[in-house]
Amino acid sequence: MTINNINMNIDFFGDGMRIFLAYISRQYKKNPDYKPHPIIRAFECALEGINKCKNGNCTMGVSHEGTTTNICDPYIVVLQKKSNGIEVKEIRNVKVDKQLPLDIMVIIFRLQIHLDKFEGDTVNPQQMADALNSVIPGNKFYALGDRWKEARDEFKKQLAEGKIYLTEDSDIIEEINRIRNDTPWEDYSNRLRAFIGTSIKAGVVTITSPKDSKIEKYKVFDYATEFMIGKTADYFKPFKKDC
Amino acid sequence: MDMITSQTISSIYSEYFEIIDSFFGAIKHYLGKEEDSHINLGSHIARYPLISDLILDAIGDLDEVIGKFWSENAKKVFDFIKTQNTLKCIYSGDISPLILENFVKKSALYVDSIIIADPIYNLTIFQKQIILDNKYYLNKLVRHVFNVWKLKDLVLANLKENIIFLLPINIQLVNQKDREDLLGKANNKFANYINKITGQTLSDPKDSLAFLEDFQKPEDLFKQIIEPTLLPRQLRDLNSLSEFLVSFRDTGKYSPLKDNSIGWNFGLYVQSQFIRVQEHRFFCEKLIAEPIYDYELPWFFFNYEMGCGGIDEAIINSLQKEKFEWISKVPIYALKILREENKLEYMRNTLRKGVTDLKAKKDSDLLKVSEQIERNFQEAFKQQKSEIVSLEKEVANIVKKEIPITAGGFLLGFVPILGDIISFLTAGRDIKNLLVQRSKNKKEIAVKKNDFINLLVQSHDNK
Repeated sequence: MTINNINMNIDFFGDGMRIFLAYISRQYKKNPDYKPHPIIRAFECALEGINKCKNGNCTMGVSHEGTTTNICDPYIVVLQKKSNGIEVKEIRNVKVDKQLPLDIMVIIFRLQIHLDKFEGDTVNPQQMADALNSVIPGNKFYALGDRWKEARDEFKKQLAEGKIYLTEDSDIIEEINRIRNDTPWEDYSNRLRAFIGTSIKAGVVTITSPKDSKIEKYKVFDYATEFMIGKTADYFKPFKKDC
Repeated sequence: MDMITSQTISSIYSEYFEIIDSFFGAIKHYLGKEEDSHINLGSHIARYPLISDLILDAIGDLDEVIGKFWSENAKKVFDFIKTQNTLKCIYSGDISPLILENFVKKSALYVDSIIIADPIYNLTIFQKQIILDNKYYLNKLVRHVFNVWKLKDLVLANLKENIIFLLPINIQLVNQKDREDLLGKANNKFANYINKITGQTLSDPKDSLAFLEDFQKPEDLFKQIIEPTLLPRQLRDLNSLSEFLVSFRDTGKYSPLKDNSIGWNFGLYVQSQFIRVQEHRFFCEKLIAEPIYDYELPWFFFNYEMGCGGIDEAIINSLQKEKFEWISKVPIYALKILREENKLEYMRNTLRKGVTDLKAKKDSDLLKVSEQIERNFQEAFKQQKSEIVSLEKEVANIVKKEIPITAGGFLLGFVPILGDIISFLTAGRDIKNLLVQRSKNKKEIAVKKNDFINLLVQSHDNK
């Protein structure tokens, strides 16, 4: 049966996944040491078995980062074979016991592709912001880069005007008092950088790491997941479901 | 240097299709048997935003892969085509013909080889950067990829002459000196053309565009045209010109080209056509091939600029006319039969009947040539049908009349038609000969009914 000359039993989701996995296998061919995100590896495992399954049966794939003694980012993916395609029953981060919605999974897949464009295991803050903005709608990420001085001055101004209220946190107040005009950005604590970063760009997540710093790719995934389904998601309401 | 053989070309194209399969294999099962099943597939996928974004990203390295593939193979294919002493044609007009299969069916009745600019190469390397809407790009890419994919068997067919060649063809691939030369020529011709149709005396193409930019409405533009006969037939009246400009503006919204006014858009279109003509001419010269189009607008500009090159060019382009749409009903495997039966030369001679060089060159709209071709087809079909009818009659005669009489004579010891006594042996041999003849005729009918011309006849009669 066809609709507008296209064969029915449309399973674009399954096909999209297969096209994505074909991409992953090209990366393996190019680089045998290629290591995609654990969700992808778990998905691959689950999908491998699905062809042999009967309709209605499920397959499960498990993968994680880490070493023999330290496991992190463990994910399981459960797929069910249906007569008209494949249904993703569950994607779960086992460590935090949190389920990932399907649309977030697709975004993680896309993030993998965008991060693959940068060689190596790390990216700089600008590359991180570009990758995140490419896959998460709304252009929500901003790499502060060279604008840190401007942000610092604005932060100081707002602090002096009483527009910023810092809780009675002696450490941060002490650090603010300690910093001078010639203190390099690299010497600021992550925490203070994060405070300062918010002062010149509202409504976005400012990445305040020094512009040449190297951020591990797996951290970008964590960052994205946190932004989309973590606590910050409640503040930004960033992700609108559209599929 | 290694000799480039048909096998080399075949293995190059096998690799090409493997690339397509590795990127798009997951969705090829959606293609129906219908000739146009590839047309809407991309837009269907684009309706699923999250998934289509994923697909777009996942095929994002296609430019790199296809670029590498052609950097290793283009020269080999180019050199091979150049050495083919056959009738070749190069397509120009769109990225690939709307339904490549039908285009090939018509063209391959006359030419040995059809050369198509690789749509995947052109789309991923050159067009992707200038298409603003990703979904529009995906739709286009899927459509053209499967346009080519559907002809995989024909591209890889082991025939004396390749029916289809895919090759990277683009003005950006021309060396800088030649490219500047081509663009210079095209721009001069463009300014000259605008002068002719509007009566202006502008020498710089920028001035021509600036002049046209002033016209905001189709009627304002149309008023400036003092020589409408120099416009393509489809644009010679205000209504059709307006319609065309609206659709041109619609497609332009996906590109970063500025959309200043109706007049500007018209200028931009005409300028692009003059550039395309120069590009096409360049590659035709390099590959010793004829130009071919699947619709009239680009043909008009080529013909306006270069004139019709002669009988072959006129016939090839006439075959694309709507009146020959019935040819697309011929099954694609019939093209292989045509080649295997060595009937291409016969077809060529059939189509050429009554078309003279002079007639072809004068016929800019190809109306006369296409009418002549239609008559030639009718004549060939009549002959084919009459040959089958005559064979069938012969078989019927052998069955109904001659065998019973001969058999009767054989049984009686007489052959009545001779009136003499003939030995049983002679009469027996006579029956055997008739049976052999009948079986031979039957086989010939079967062959004739399945041969290429008869497949054409069937398509024509079922139109």
